[in-house]
Amino acid sequence: MEEIRIGVYICHCGLNIAGTVNVEDVAKYTATLPNVVVSRHYRYMCSDPGQDLIRSDIKHLALNRVVVASCSPRMHELTFRKTVESGGLNPYLYEHANIREQCSWVHDDRKLATNKAKDLVRAAVMRVHHHEPLVIREVPLNPNVLVIGGGIAGMQASLDIANGQKKVYLVEREPSIGGRMAQLDRTFPTLDCAECILTPKMSDVGHHPFIELLAYSEVEEVSGSIGDFKVKVRKKARYVDVDKCVGCGDCEEKCPRRTGSEYEMGLAERGMAYIPFPQAIPNVATIDRREERPCKAACKEACPIHMNVLGYASLIKEGRFEEAYEVIRRTNPLPAVCGRVCYAPCQEACNRGQFDEHIAIRELKRFAADQELKMGKGKAVPVERTKEEQVAIVGSGPAGLACAYDLVRQGYPVTVFESGPEAGGLLRWGIPEYRLPKKMLSNDISYIQDLGVEIKTNTPVKNLSEIFDQGYKAVFLGTGAGMSQRMGIPGENAPGVFHALDFLKQVNFGVEVDLGSKVAVIGGGNAAVDAARVARRLGVEDVTVVYRRGRDEMPAIPSEIEEMEHEGVKIEFLAAPVKVLSDNKGVTGIQCIRMEMGEPDASGRRRPVPVKGSEFTIEVDHVIMAIGQSVDKAVLPEGLAYTDWGTLSVDPVTLQTNIDGVFAGGDVVSGPADVIGAIATGKRAACSINAYLRGEELSIEEGGKVEKLSEEELARIKQRFASRKRVRAGKLEPEKRIDSFEEVEQTYSPDEAQEEAERCLASMVEGCFECGECKQVCEAKAIDFEQTDQIVELEVGSIIVATGYDQFDSSVIPQYGYKRYANVLTGLEFERLTCAAGPTEGKILLKDGRPPESVAIVHCVGSRDQNYHEYCSRVCCMYGLKYAHLIKELANAEVYEFYIDMRCFGEGYEEFYKRVSEEGVNFIRGKVAKITDEAVIDEEKGKLIVVSEDTLLGKMIRVPVDMVILCSALEARSDAENVARLFNLNRRADGFFLERHVKLDPVATPTDGIFIAGCCEAPRDIPDTVAQAEAAAAKVLSLISKGTVTLEAAISTVDEAICHGCGRCEEVCTFSAPKVISKDGNLVSSINEALCKGCGACAVVCPTGAITIRHFTPDEILAQVAALTEA
Amino acid sequence: MNLEDIIQKTKTYYCLECGKCTSICPVARYDSGFSPRMIIEHALLGFEDDLVQNKKLFSCLTCYTCQPECPSDVDFPVFVREARSIAQDNGQYGICAHSGQLQSLARLMTSPAIKQNRLEWLSKEYRVSEDSDVLLWVGCAPYFEPIFEDLEFSALDIIRASLKIMNLLGIEPKLLPNERCCGHDALWTGDVETFKRLAEHNATQIKEAKVKKIVFSCPEGYRTFKLDYPNHVDLGCEVQHLSEFLAEKMGQNGLKFKEIKKKVTYQDPCRLGRHLGVYDAPRKVLESIPGIELIEMKHSGRESICCGTSAFTNCDSYSNLLRAERLSEAAATGADVLITACPKCQTHFRCAMTDKGEEHRPTPKIEIMDLANLVADAIGEE
Repeated sequence: MEEIRIGVYICHCGLNIAGTVNVEDVAKYTATLPNVVVSRHYRYMCSDPGQDLIRSDIKHLALNRVVVASCSPRMHELTFRKTVESGGLNPYLYEHANIREQCSWVHDDRKLATNKAKDLVRAAVMRVHHHEPLVIREVPLNPNVLVIGGGIAGMQASLDIANGQKKVYLVEREPSIGGRMAQLDRTFPTLDCAECILTPKMSDVGHHPFIELLAYSEVEEVSGSIGDFKVKVRKKARYVDVDKCVGCGDCEEKCPRRTGSEYEMGLAERGMAYIPFPQAIPNVATIDRREERPCKAACKEACPIHMNVLGYASLIKEGRFEEAYEVIRRTNPLPAVCGRVCYAPCQEACNRGQFDEHIAIRELKRFAADQELKMGKGKAVPVERTKEEQVAIVGSGPAGLACAYDLVRQGYPVTVFESGPEAGGLLRWGIPEYRLPKKMLSNDISYIQDLGVEIKTNTPVKNLSEIFDQGYKAVFLGTGAGMSQRMGIPGENAPGVFHALDFLKQVNFGVEVDLGSKVAVIGGGNAAVDAARVARRLGVEDVTVVYRRGRDEMPAIPSEIEEMEHEGVKIEFLAAPVKVLSDNKGVTGIQCIRMEMGEPDASGRRRPVPVKGSEFTIEVDHVIMAIGQSVDKAVLPEGLAYTDWGTLSVDPVTLQTNIDGVFAGGDVVSGPADVIGAIATGKRAACSINAYLRGEELSIEEGGKVEKLSEEELARIKQRFASRKRVRAGKLEPEKRIDSFEEVEQTYSPDEAQEEAERCLASMVEGCFECGECKQVCEAKAIDFEQTDQIVELEVGSIIVATGYDQFDSSVIPQYGYKRYANVLTGLEFERLTCAAGPTEGKILLKDGRPPESVAIVHCVGSRDQNYHEYCSRVCCMYGLKYAHLIKELANAEVYEFYIDMRCFGEGYEEFYKRVSEEGVNFIRGKVAKITDEAVIDEEKGKLIVVSEDTLLGKMIRVPVDMVILCSALEARSDAENVARLFNLNRRADGFFLERHVKLDPVATPTDGIFIAGCCEAPRDIPDTVAQAEAAAAKVLSLISKGTVTLEAAISTVDEAICHGCGRCEEVCTFSAPKVISKDGNLVSSINEALCKGCGACAVVCPTGAITIRHFTPDEILAQVAALTEA
Repeated sequence: MNLEDIIQKTKTYYCLECGKCTSICPVARYDSGFSPRMIIEHALLGFEDDLVQNKKLFSCLTCYTCQPECPSDVDFPVFVREARSIAQDNGQYGICAHSGQLQSLARLMTSPAIKQNRLEWLSKEYRVSEDSDVLLWVGCAPYFEPIFEDLEFSALDIIRASLKIMNLLGIEPKLLPNERCCGHDALWTGDVETFKRLAEHNATQIKEAKVKKIVFSCPEGYRTFKLDYPNHVDLGCEVQHLSEFLAEKMGQNGLKFKEIKKKVTYQDPCRLGRHLGVYDAPRKVLESIPGIELIEMKHSGRESICCGTSAFTNCDSYSNLLRAERLSEAAATGADVLITACPKCQTHFRCAMTDKGEEHRPTPKIEIMDLANLVADAIGEE
């Protein structure tokens, strides 16, 4: 065996060691130890001459072992290993003794310290005897890089690396990159606009061929080590197809749900579908969908025009009535009408009905409409005419108006021809005032007129070619079914027999009608009920409705029937008139026959069958026939084709009649039906007419299915929500009704409406509730609610973490009144105020819209304070000065800076401080005690009073101001702990990530291959952040440039002859290095040398002693221990 | 202890000179000559003479408003306490109220030979027991009787009420016939020697009494036993304020209250509140009494305003202004009664309300009562 020749070198470290330890004495002593060939002491062993000493001794004295006693091995073990290597020895034939941190620095007694140093060096010498040369191996490094965080730091680092043509994956949690800097208005001290200098960088990142941007994504898992990291990234579902989205923002504009915009610090709102800010990269929308909607939105599907009930109910819930009305207006041309007389299939379908009671959707709609009228709003802005082709609408009932409404909003010039004196059709002359006040109808119609629709009353259209001759390119016929049907029984034409529609029309137009004292109304539809109730109001004591089927079969709206009975109207069910009895004065009664219900017919309705011999007579003075209406062909132009039922024949898809360019809808096609159905066909016709005029393929999006909740879904709802009864709107008392035509159903009060809207299951979810409004308006068809989160697996060689900071929550200092006083703002909020693209368009304004006359800027809020953060946030003094300057410039207000120390240390910073001082800003040295609105003297009234000591004057002061800006501290991200765990980072006591060395290795971390940059490491300004990002990029590029990773040589090794394959090593290893494998029929542990860090955990748990750590073998350690214990 | 030691002990060297202490100090609000920041600054500059000669050193209420707010965590009240001991060593004292009777009594009681007739007031209706493991601390109450006679205030009534409550709870506590002053005022005015002697005497008495728990109706005694005695003597038992003792018993069997229809407001004594963090217990007790409606003052809990005097020292016109402010807050609640849990608060408030010299600045009048008395009324027989 080769002779062991050891060289020992004792370092003075200036006086750091030599001041306490007698180095000469130590060197003399070590020279006496076995196999020590040379023992020296020198002032700085780590210096070049010091290292040369070692190299020269290796050469001239043939040393084969070296010991240096100096500082901590963390500091210089690697240095000396390299020295030894360059001297020609294997670097592992070196041993380091720490006589500084563990000896000279912690002792006072020179003699004892010297003795301890001798012990430490002796132990090192005895250990170095056992050192073996170890093989150092290199593996290739994956040149791809992962950067976490798309703020200025992450972007800068990504660009630097990508410009070196290395692939970068940039992961950003938010929908857009830009980070905090994107929220800033101007940057100190140059007052550059942050956006102007940032957005070009953002755009570069977005388009860089070497950068793959994973925005709206989060890292979920990191494994592996330097050179070979495997990373799982969750790409969160945006519910928007980013390849289709063009970033137009239509979805956000139409989204009925609003929430505080994170970008605007809550000073402005965004939709649930949103683009965080105009310059966002990627410039695509994101839908903020946080949970499943508990209901199926059956209301919307059941509605013939698919109204966005979810949208307006949730807006009403939030008290945003005007916006609710706008949402209703978007689909419905007649909100006040539908809010009253719609038969509301939505309510029937409402999924909450399965739980307790359906939502009062109709009442909510009516409330929104009435509220707008009450507030004197609801005025329309005329739509710009973008289309040439004029369209004629014949008939101003709901179908015609709906068609006109949709066409005018598409830019068509539209004229409505109405034969009667006023617009509204059946709504005006067929529905009594107590159900639909004329005022409300007129209001809805005038809105449509305001949009630009021309309505020509008293203008019947008899000849279609005349219309086309006048230049109209398309015609819609919505003339209704206004002719009363005859019953065909004897006496029907006697004086005193009215037909319901004629009767209602006369009453509606103010013609006096004498009905005597006893009236029978024949029929069971809405017209019958209306006629009966109107008869009561005209003073008829005894009104009887005669209907040939039972109560359940009555087609009128059930609540109307109920109210009718409350008003004292009797109903004779299962009775059919066979003859009207009359004398010369008029009607004397009706003869009826009892009916019974027979078998159901083809339509599923059971047919009533007369009971023979059951005739009976009801004595009445007048009879009102309400047995149905039909199309009056006489009012329609010639040349049209009809169906067998006497209605207009149209194409079921395009609604075009037999004449080219002539379309029809509403009752004239369907026969007598409901208002909302008529509106639906009018709207459909509008679509069709547009396609016809544009020469396009007609595409109509059909609604989805009306779905019910499943048992499980219902059970979940029952568990989650408390049952709550519907809020009942007030009703006029029946006694008061019969004297007047006052509206029976009252509208909700705002409180009632909000309370009722709260019941909507959909509006209870946070975030988007999939009302689908965005899907409707998105021309690119980019909205996709079926999207799910995607997991992307990346392989990279190095990682840069640049996750930034959070702003300290100033409301935890209650004395400062943040969130209590409207005009106490934080720095980031104020940034948004001065930003030209911000919520006030760059004007500094108080919450009430006035400009402030005086502003206080409070420094060190949460910084330099043992109660919150001990550190200085480093940027507040400077941005405080920036605010002072901007306030002077933009608002010319008095400014007070309350500071403790002004820290203006960067390039141009002190100069900026001087400049702001010259602008007449008041600097008050003192920490603010409190901010209050309690005035003591008149000058303080209506102001915020900042209470502090002016410590330079030694005087207590109270400064009344209009606005206070808190320079809130920068703090570690609230989820920094998770990020630290993910990337194996350490955190300092202040919560920020720990760098490897605060001065000499500021962007590296204790984990090889993972770097940090920017404010996630500590608060810093933009120049420093950018410098750090560039430093991190340089570190990464140097790794990539080298191309390989040197593996630790001092790692575990398994003596396979001893190993049992028990697997304990596998369990304990955090790097997954050991694996138990089968080898020659035996289970043995095998160490993956690329993964092993040499931590020694496996060697400790190994029960057999099969595992040892190279360079830390029992021989080596025991020799060291023995040497220490021998003295 | 010298000035340097005090600076080390209270971490005063961390001071940023930001002035927050002064700007939130209740005394500085009225007395522009008093500034905690200036006191600290003088100390840091080493102006020991300035510091100890400054009569304002004794104006601090040691109410602990400043310390929790200090960004540098400087313990100003303790700094003041220690600085006062240097002042005393240099013959500087505060201006003693009531002709120094209270300070003299404390010093008299340091004498081992002194014989007190402490329990003369104890009548047959109260049950006490020599064998009890619960001790009720009587404190200064018997001495307060003659001194504060003119305030229509009896501190002994608080003790009687406490005894009555304990008896009704089935507890017959022990009373010590040879208790001494707890030394609170001596300690906080810088007379450390007196404090130590009193502490030693009391500790001996308590050890001999072999009790498990001492209950205090006075927060000053409680604070002293809980926080200050352990630095000097070993007591070997638990200490509790009456409000905490009662709060524990609330809701237990046998504790029945009759209805008292009164609106009350509550003064947090600084020793009980900011010194020891006991805010909830007294409120819990108040809320347990049917008919009692507690209306908080504008400043309550941690933000409470002090009664204006501590340790019967430097009771000046500023003190009275502070008291007037606090009483105005109490009156503004519309409460019928101001409840306190400290006999000192009560003496100071009562004093302010009867102060003849302040006629030109009338002090709001409100009935004032100790928590113990209210509880005793509520559980007394119908």
